[in-house]
Amino acid sequence: MAHIECSGIVKSYGAHPVIDGLNLMIPDHEFVVFLGPSGCGKSTMLRMIAGLEEVTAGRISIGGADVTNRHPGQRGVAMVFQSYALYPHMTVADNITFGLRRAGVPGPEIDRRLGEVARMLGLEPMLNRKPKAMSGGQQQRVAMARAMIKTPKVFLFDEPLSNLDAKLREKLRTEIRKMHNSLKTTTIFVTHDQLEAMTIADRIVLMRAGAIEQQGTPDEIFDRPATRFVADFIGSPSMNFRLGRIERGAAVAGSVRIPLPPGRFAVAEGQEVELGLRPTRMERVSPGAEGAITGRVSLIENMGAEGQIIAEVDGADMSFVTRDFRGLSIGDPVSFALSPDHLHIFDRATGRSCLA
Amino acid sequence: MVPLILRILARLALGLLVLIALAPILWTALGAFKELRDIVTPVPKLFFTPTLDNFATILGNPTIRDGLVNSVLVVAASVGIGALLGIPAAHTLARHMRRRGDDIQFFVLSLRFMPPVAIAIPFIVIYLDLGIYDSLGGLILVYLVTTISTMIWLATPAFERVPPEIEEAAAMEGCSEAEVFWRISLPVAAPSLFGALVFTFVLVWNELLLALTLAAQNATLPVVAASITSLGKEVPWGVINAATVVLVLPPLFFIGLLMGLINSMIRSGGRTKG
Amino acid sequence: MTRQRFILLTLAPALTVLGLLAAVSTAGAVWFSLMNRVLGSPDYEFVGLYNYLRLLRDKRFFNALEISLIWELITVAGTLVVAVLLAVLVHETVKRALWRNLICFAFLAPVLLPRVAAAFIWRFLYSPSLGLLNWIVGEAGLGPVEFLANPSLALVSVAVVDIWQWGLFFTVILVKLLETMPRDPIEAAMLDNARTWQIHAYVTLPMLKGPLISLALVKAVESLRSFDLIFVMTGGGPGTATETLDLYAYQSGINLGGRVSYASAMSILLLIVTTVAFTLIWRASRKWSR
Repeated sequence: MAHIECSGIVKSYGAHPVIDGLNLMIPDHEFVVFLGPSGCGKSTMLRMIAGLEEVTAGRISIGGADVTNRHPGQRGVAMVFQSYALYPHMTVADNITFGLRRAGVPGPEIDRRLGEVARMLGLEPMLNRKPKAMSGGQQQRVAMARAMIKTPKVFLFDEPLSNLDAKLREKLRTEIRKMHNSLKTTTIFVTHDQLEAMTIADRIVLMRAGAIEQQGTPDEIFDRPATRFVADFIGSPSMNFRLGRIERGAAVAGSVRIPLPPGRFAVAEGQEVELGLRPTRMERVSPGAEGAITGRVSLIENMGAEGQIIAEVDGADMSFVTRDFRGLSIGDPVSFALSPDHLHIFDRATGRSCLA
Repeated sequence: MVPLILRILARLALGLLVLIALAPILWTALGAFKELRDIVTPVPKLFFTPTLDNFATILGNPTIRDGLVNSVLVVAASVGIGALLGIPAAHTLARHMRRRGDDIQFFVLSLRFMPPVAIAIPFIVIYLDLGIYDSLGGLILVYLVTTISTMIWLATPAFERVPPEIEEAAAMEGCSEAEVFWRISLPVAAPSLFGALVFTFVLVWNELLLALTLAAQNATLPVVAASITSLGKEVPWGVINAATVVLVLPPLFFIGLLMGLINSMIRSGGRTKG
Repeated sequence: MTRQRFILLTLAPALTVLGLLAAVSTAGAVWFSLMNRVLGSPDYEFVGLYNYLRLLRDKRFFNALEISLIWELITVAGTLVVAVLLAVLVHETVKRALWRNLICFAFLAPVLLPRVAAAFIWRFLYSPSLGLLNWIVGEAGLGPVEFLANPSLALVSVAVVDIWQWGLFFTVILVKLLETMPRDPIEAAMLDNARTWQIHAYVTLPMLKGPLISLALVKAVESLRSFDLIFVMTGGGPGTATETLDLYAYQSGINLGGRVSYASAMSILLLIVTTVAFTLIWRASRKWSR
């Protein structure tokens, strides 16, 4: 049983707190992703759970035991670093078994477990090599094997895929998720890549400036962003934003007028709001249709199966994604509409979502 | 493109420079195998009948033999203790002292600003008062200022170049600070540390002033060599040449290591700045 | 073992030894400088600042101060100029890595020589009757030159040896620095049609400003320790033409008369001057090299 509980975590460097009173509960077996822009405190948070950074105040418990003041080695956690952090003077096998040998685990037992993880990660042919002679992807596999062989209560990943090229990143991402599906070890994974977070997580903890902005399943984060910041951070291409107001049951911004589905939003007539329109939730319509937005094509980005159209609406760019983009050319008038169930409205002053 | 003549001139200049760098050393080495009558000639002789007499003379000379033994003892002890105390301190400065570390490093560096006479003169009086003047132990103690500060000065950046994640990974596997140092940082930084060790060795092996003032009787090799060379006009030039060769050989032996030290320092410097 | 104890255990021995030795020698020098001790005589008494006041009227002391300053200037400037010029020359003419490494090895040899040995080697070369240099000068018809016996030549002749050792050593460092420099700005300058010397004068050397300043600082510190070289080559002579402060302190404190108290006062002044100067330069250089 290894749920993680962080309560009232404060971290300050000097007088300046970078994390101020953070509370977080991670249930057993969950795969949680800490997501956020650089400097939001996600890595600091992970390193405090690992024990590599001291907490200024607050408590951390793993599996019910208070580990706040324990040495990193006594917390039952294993970590995979962005830079792999392999011991350059040891062979792959020695790297993987270092912790077990140190702990005095008997030789035959070490060999058995080494064989097991090496097979799982496909490292058998290179056990006698030095890390220097291996590619980044192989090195990261060794780092994962080193973490796995300890059979820890918690896996911690600190941006493990950021140093790899795009293809390898996807492949290893899938492997990590499969590994979790079979081992079911509680896992925390830090990344700044929202796509990586969406594809791998059971639950995303989105952080901003040392605080949790929103946490939830990838679907919740994507479809019901709690703030404008979350809405802007998640999704590619990113959301279109327009300043507007509520008028007679519709959200209005310039020529854009989208009727509000009844009961979805808690807004008042005349309220100053910001509209959020996801490019992937819009589609071309005929010019006179209900809620149609009309503009002039300023750029077409061919993405293969789909295309992103950037159209000028009321003097500003608005983008949407459609399969029906071939045949359009720059300067053409184009009409498109958002399905009303996917409209987002944010309070202009607080940036919070107006979802009821 | 540079005209051909300029390029040839540049090559010639380079050749001349290499000659200037090496010729004095080679000429001395040559002199070590010459008999006195081959040295004292109006026109320098490049070809002569080589002799080993000069080396026989110095190796048979008890002063020089003792000097060699003293040098080895003093250098080994002071560099050894310097490394033993300096290397762990450097690791701690590089890893565990973010705020106070700079001040300590400045203090260590400032010891290298200290003029050697400012150390020699007080210590000669203190040693005379304590009755340990002219002892190797006293000389070793004073040399510790040089060896410890140089080791810390050169080893701190070597430990800073060890990626911190490696040490963190070891800590995650349960290693204490001491174990991280011993099993991870030390072996990873070893090549640079070896260079630092060599540099410190060369400094102490070559030192004259402190040895001259604090242990005039138990002289080290530089003191012996200096005393032979200041004999006046009637000098056994060949013997001096041979003595110089003996003095020069150990440091030259380490030239490759020094090169490695320069390479690693510069490459890492470029990385941190770029 | 806790983290705190590990830090204490690793730092304390080294810093204690360094601190004690530094404190003992400094305090000792201050204490002795207030006495009138002479080596070999057991009687001495407290004389206050007498030694310092006498220093201020000592012409030989001011001569030594002047020689020390000139020595610092010649050797630091000479070393850097030689190193920069040679490094550019090597960088531009030798492109093959093998040759470049061989040249670097050759250039490293002199600095590894014990100063006593370097001093001797050059004394042999400079020798008016049997030196190689005087033979060359003689063949050129310029007659024997008294490199070390001529008061106006002696200091420069010794400085040449220092520059021979350190200039070539710094050349190697600069060659390596030039090799590892980012290529983009140089290539940009080439696209702008800059000549080779212009690239170095306006692009590469300004980019190496930080390392050059550090090298100058290292050399300035190292030039203070030239006792061995001067002691063996000239012993401070002819007359006092090459007598630097440490040489004078040694001569008056140990060699002749053994007036240790007087020498202590001198070394205290030397210590204050160098510490102040280097602290200021150190601070300033951190600012410049940014």
